[in-house]
Amino acid sequence: MPRAAFTSRDVFEREYEAIFGNCWLYLGHASELPEPGNFLTRTVARRPILFTRDKEGEFSALLNACPHRGALVCRERKGKSRAFMCMYHGWTFGSDGHLMTLPGSSGYPEGFKTDPQKQMVHAPRLERFGDFFFINFSKDGEDLATYLADAGDYLKLVAEHSASGMQIVGGTQEYSMRGNWKLLAENSFDGYHAACNHSTYLEYLKNANGALGATPLSGVARDLKNGHALVEYSAPWGRPIANWVPLWGEEGKTEIAAIYAALQARVGAERADRIAHKNRNMVIFPNLVVNDIMAITVRTFFPTAPDYMEVNAWALAPREESEWLRKFRLYNFTEFLGPGGFATPDDVEAIEKCQQGYAVGGEALYNDISKGMLREDGASFDDEEQMRAYWREWDRRMNQVES
Amino acid sequence: MDEMLMLRLRVEDLLYLEADLLDRWQLDDWLALYTEDAHYYIPPSDVDGDTADPESSLFYIMDDRIRMEQRVIRLSKVGAHSEFPHSKVRHLVSNTRVERAGDLIRARSSFVVWRSKDVTSDAFVGHYLHEIVEQDGALKIAKKTCVLDMEALRPHARISIIL
Repeated sequence: MPRAAFTSRDVFEREYEAIFGNCWLYLGHASELPEPGNFLTRTVARRPILFTRDKEGEFSALLNACPHRGALVCRERKGKSRAFMCMYHGWTFGSDGHLMTLPGSSGYPEGFKTDPQKQMVHAPRLERFGDFFFINFSKDGEDLATYLADAGDYLKLVAEHSASGMQIVGGTQEYSMRGNWKLLAENSFDGYHAACNHSTYLEYLKNANGALGATPLSGVARDLKNGHALVEYSAPWGRPIANWVPLWGEEGKTEIAAIYAALQARVGAERADRIAHKNRNMVIFPNLVVNDIMAITVRTFFPTAPDYMEVNAWALAPREESEWLRKFRLYNFTEFLGPGGFATPDDVEAIEKCQQGYAVGGEALYNDISKGMLREDGASFDDEEQMRAYWREWDRRMNQVES
Repeated sequence: MDEMLMLRLRVEDLLYLEADLLDRWQLDDWLALYTEDAHYYIPPSDVDGDTADPESSLFYIMDDRIRMEQRVIRLSKVGAHSEFPHSKVRHLVSNTRVERAGDLIRARSSFVVWRSKDVTSDAFVGHYLHEIVEQDGALKIAKKTCVLDMEALRPHARISIIL
């Protein structure tokens, strides 16, 4: 891959047109708006979005700007409200964006209030896949399920962790990295870097549990089409769905065994084995990561410059989970993941050092992602086939836009 | 001297010692300031950090004593890439208020922690909630929560140092 893909201002601007302007982008999870009237605000691809549920429970994704003078209408992060008043002149909108109240309406002609141009604008497309909501800033193109291709089945697999539905746990990890956003896409499903980059995490597992679990790091990489890809593998760490580790105490062993038995009864032995015992790091093109590892993280990241990205990360968990297990899920999450974990800071270091390294320029113009290309028995989890799948789609989409 | 004033001076002395040990990367000595059942927490910035429960909300850090010890071990290694070589760190602690709740001493203070490395300097701004107990005549920290008074951890990428 040419390193200019990570450093060029021109590439960065074209990405906003060719990729963020046309791809399905993750907005949020249904569990974040549990009741009619709930709302949240979120920036998606640099655009402020107001995500709402009206009193009938219908979801809307509105561009969060007043049709009058363009001020942000909703200035809160989340809450419950049936109306949103712009603080500038008092124009007030319903959860579906329609103009409810127009102060000083005698100054406007008849029909002004119902003029389509005086309503808040919806994101061109909003669709859901299970409880995952996505928006698309282009009116045209394939529907969400078609776009997700083989990644859809893996999103279903994540949903099947629970009999009662999954939920986003409260608390968002909101951070950033001084590196190109695609470095985090690569890093999120890179099985090759663990042994070197995360040696201290593996040593921590060994120390905290008395010994490293017997399960080796081993598995496959898969191209899920349309730029989506994943690695699926076994690993020596605990998984709150069914992989007990000594750190969780003897009393937890019984509970974990009961969860696994119920899972087998619900989805069958084969699928239960995959859900419980296999880890999956998945990137849904261009920037949704769903990593089902020592906990489940949902993560998005958007660039605001070629060398800077803003990251949001959430924890996903079964609704019916006991307090005991929820505690260990979060304990597990924070052991590896996020700015304070025992691993993510070293990913950040790798990503930022790549970005700094690209400054050498000169004749060092390309990155190598060829590992496993000549393997005949299928890609291993620590090959780079998943990155090649991602980059092929990136290249295809970028070539559709003139430079 | 007024008893609460005396207590505040003792607590401030402990907080300044903690800050100094962290600034000088004397992490084993830092750990010795804590009880055997201590906890160290950093909640995210979209919850009420003063009341949030790490067992039901996703935090940045929810360390028990085992993990605090492992954190110190990790930070001593070359393989802790984010902190090799160690960054320059400066803890500023002020506005300390103390109250007694039975045997427990609660301290609330303001902090700014600077981390400098690789031509960037990031400031963590917030307030500390310390829970302190008296053991054999010495003050020991049983719990420390670092509440970030920030909208998000940006442009910071990591809390690889100990706040």
